[in-house]
Amino acid sequence: MTSIRRKGQLAIAGVLIAAALAACGDDSTSSGDGGGGKTTGAAITLAANPWTGSAVNAYVAKVVIEANLGAPVEIIDIDENATWVGLDDGSIDATLEVWPSGHAADYETYITGKKTVLDLGRLGPQAKIGWYVPKFVIDEHPELATWEGFKDPELAKLFATAESGSLGQFTMGDPSYVTYDEQVIQNLGLPLKYVVAGSEAALLTAIDQAIADKKPLLMQFWKPHWKSARVELVEVALPAITPECEASLAAQDGKYACDYPVDELYKAASAGLEAKNPAVFKMLSAMQLSTEQQSEIGSFIDGDGMTPGEAAKKWVDANPDVWKAWLA
Amino acid sequence: MAVSVETLPAMESDDVVRARRQQRTIGLAIFAALSVGALVVAHDVPDWMDSGVQKWAQDRYKWSVVNRQSSKLFTWLFNPLADLLTWAVENAESLLLALRWPGVIALVGVIGWRTGGMRAAIAGSAALFSVGVIADWDLAMRTLAIMIVAVVIALLIGVPLGILTARSDRIERVVRVLLDTAQVMPIFVYFSPATIFFGIQFPPAVVVTVIYALPPAVRLTNLGLRQVPVVVNEVGESFGTTSMQQLLKVQLPMARRTILLGLNQVIMMAFAVVVLASLLGTGDLGQEVLSGLQKQEVGKAFAAGLGIVLMAVALDRISTGEKSKRHSRLATTLPAVSTRTAAMIAVAVPVMVVVFARVVDASVFPTSLHYNLATVIDDAVRWVQDNLRKGVPVIGGTQAISDFITLHLLNPLRDFLLWLPWLFVIVVMALAGWLSKGWRLSVTIAICLGLIATMGYDNNTLLWDHAMDTLSQVLVAIAISIAIALPLGMWAGRSDRVERALRPFLDAAQVLPQFVYLIPVVFLFSIGRAAGVVACVIYAVPPCIRLTSLGMREVPFAPREAAISFGATGRQEMRNVQLPLARKAILLGINQTMMMVLATVIIAALIGAGGLGLLAYRASAKPQIDFGLGTAGGLSIVLLAIMLDRLTQAWGTHSDSDRGA
Repeated sequence: MTSIRRKGQLAIAGVLIAAALAACGDDSTSSGDGGGGKTTGAAITLAANPWTGSAVNAYVAKVVIEANLGAPVEIIDIDENATWVGLDDGSIDATLEVWPSGHAADYETYITGKKTVLDLGRLGPQAKIGWYVPKFVIDEHPELATWEGFKDPELAKLFATAESGSLGQFTMGDPSYVTYDEQVIQNLGLPLKYVVAGSEAALLTAIDQAIADKKPLLMQFWKPHWKSARVELVEVALPAITPECEASLAAQDGKYACDYPVDELYKAASAGLEAKNPAVFKMLSAMQLSTEQQSEIGSFIDGDGMTPGEAAKKWVDANPDVWKAWLA
Repeated sequence: MAVSVETLPAMESDDVVRARRQQRTIGLAIFAALSVGALVVAHDVPDWMDSGVQKWAQDRYKWSVVNRQSSKLFTWLFNPLADLLTWAVENAESLLLALRWPGVIALVGVIGWRTGGMRAAIAGSAALFSVGVIADWDLAMRTLAIMIVAVVIALLIGVPLGILTARSDRIERVVRVLLDTAQVMPIFVYFSPATIFFGIQFPPAVVVTVIYALPPAVRLTNLGLRQVPVVVNEVGESFGTTSMQQLLKVQLPMARRTILLGLNQVIMMAFAVVVLASLLGTGDLGQEVLSGLQKQEVGKAFAAGLGIVLMAVALDRISTGEKSKRHSRLATTLPAVSTRTAAMIAVAVPVMVVVFARVVDASVFPTSLHYNLATVIDDAVRWVQDNLRKGVPVIGGTQAISDFITLHLLNPLRDFLLWLPWLFVIVVMALAGWLSKGWRLSVTIAICLGLIATMGYDNNTLLWDHAMDTLSQVLVAIAISIAIALPLGMWAGRSDRVERALRPFLDAAQVLPQFVYLIPVVFLFSIGRAAGVVACVIYAVPPCIRLTSLGMREVPFAPREAAISFGATGRQEMRNVQLPLARKAILLGINQTMMMVLATVIIAALIGAGGLGLLAYRASAKPQIDFGLGTAGGLSIVLLAIMLDRLTQAWGTHSDSDRGA
């Protein structure tokens, strides 16, 4: 005989009780990962992109800020492209590792154009994108250490797969990463077919497969990367950068035929951060981490299985001189 | 989904037969003429056919980026909406965490008890408990919060929209195309606009989930209302009820069962996009899957993925609403309670559990109950990767299969489709449509393919060529799926043991997030289109097996018994009686296979399949440059899907009958 209204009343009663209970308790939904001391004020939001280096930067900053500047820090795991959208509207305060070659358009739109995002300067590491092969390829065929070795169709055929047919296969990873490879292959006249793996995970799996089979693999890759610690990868020398190449790059005319430029990784912050928390802004502008320091902390995470927060705290405790300089 | 026994066609007079034959001849002559004309015309799509859709989309994107903070459209509409969505999800998450894990499980159990009986309650609670055992409970609660908000919104929009479409056929036709587009458009194309309009993290994730989960709500509300017998409506009218009274007190209650099925399907669709939506930075269980894949940790990704699956199972059990209370043995052993007492128990039990849990401070799912699934899975994957790639007797291994698919199936078909002039392809497909159903279908097909031809270029490659590439992959994937699924389905249709044995594999393949098994697939089959085809086949085979088996089981026993009594062997009976009568269900299975394959084409791009899926991915990855291109690619996929869907549906029906949504 329970009418719909009766059921509705009971349901509402149940929800109200649950809500009252929820309100009664004190719940800290923000996870404190190794942070000590009191933190007050608006939370600083840092972006951590899906690679170890980015997480390392973010958690080191978090540990230092929470312990010394007293502001709570929240870290969001997010894609590097969506990060810019967050920086633009202030929902992300800063990102600590941007790879220049991959974000030239974002730089132009947000930093130069809309001015809603600021360039906080270099982080420290120098990255190099380029053509890489597993070491066993060079051991068996030393000629392939430079691009000229690939002019030989017989050697190029070593890299052939069902997808590339009679040409050697050049494997590109994630198509969103910057690439001049198609142009370079064409302009240098190499017998290679450009095949896109579609994602970084697929490319990494292709590396594992190549090493398991001892099948030669030529791909676009970069250092620093955690995979280089597990697998030996050797860079193939491309022609040095000439003024013509630089001009061709600027003009986007498709005639590029040189090596990739070195990437100086940089930091970016939302324009509102300085007003929001000047001390944090100053500290992040001054923050510097080298490739070696990143690898050291990264090895705690990848090798020893620590969480990023624990790894950051361990390093921060052991290296006070380094981060004290950022606060000076 | 019962399949009716087909009736014999009525005998027709000579005049009618002659007229029909004349129509046929005229039609074929027209198509022959068109084909010749198509062969003579240029091979590639002419430049003037470019509709400029890419530039239009890119310009809209640019405008949105520049005007995000200033335009009224944003400040008055999208920003407040985004804030509302963030508020909703954050509070839902706080509430779920505040209830503590025993409280949430108790709540789910009680809801299951009220909707589906003791069996549903136990199944739901056990599934939810398992989530905590193998995955992170807090992350799971965040996923659940996002799901709840998305499902509520999907229902709030979907049910009224379903009511509207039930009342008007014209609205239904328009809405149907929109829903098809929403379900087939690659999710990557939505990402950038969603972040520009709604920001990052929760709001765009909810919006994208709602877009995907909306169609079942609309479709099933529509179906349920249309199935209300006309007689019932007339009785209501004759008693003088108003339209609104009729709707609320007569039609909706009668359609309740179907609408609840809609709720169930909305929940399932929402869970299907959890992993993809987490690319927007939600930091939930879906993101655990992605971060596991980034590090090539398949075990970690699998454990998180299985957690998502179990949550979906828990909600599925408590939302199915199959009240089998009177029939289950468990129910008869327990004392029957009056509805009022039951209601009081339903409120009291969760409240007591929550209070107890807070007093005991059970804020973290006990680590002692955790089971590390990751290492087990990693070992299993390693074994598979070490042993199945090469050196397998007879078939040679997965690498050999991959090479065969690429060299002997994909390459020839793709080369053939690219060799045909574009207009010729359109004419031939339109002819197929005309022969299958009628001139209306052929016009639809011609329009779909024609629109693909207007999509422009990707650097120097026509989008038409990409579409032919994708079409070749789709056709090969469908062919392989059918070749595997039909025999298995027929076998399962005749043998209960086989069906029971297959069921866990079918469930797993369909519900496990596809990302989880992508890495082993790439290792076994190498990056490229063959790996993409394999991923599509894994996803598309289960529904085909299920529908074939179901179709065969639904064939009434009478005609089969008649055949046997006339001396037919088992095989003769199956081939000549059961299969023809199950034809409609089997063709529906093929239709579903095709839709599943198209849905996977996007994911396949992430493992080297290229084609239109890769263009769609580029829209999310480099929107500043490729948004227009990706939108055009996504639209092409939608057009291919509509064309193939209408075509395969037409094979399942005769030209004079029409299926509903």
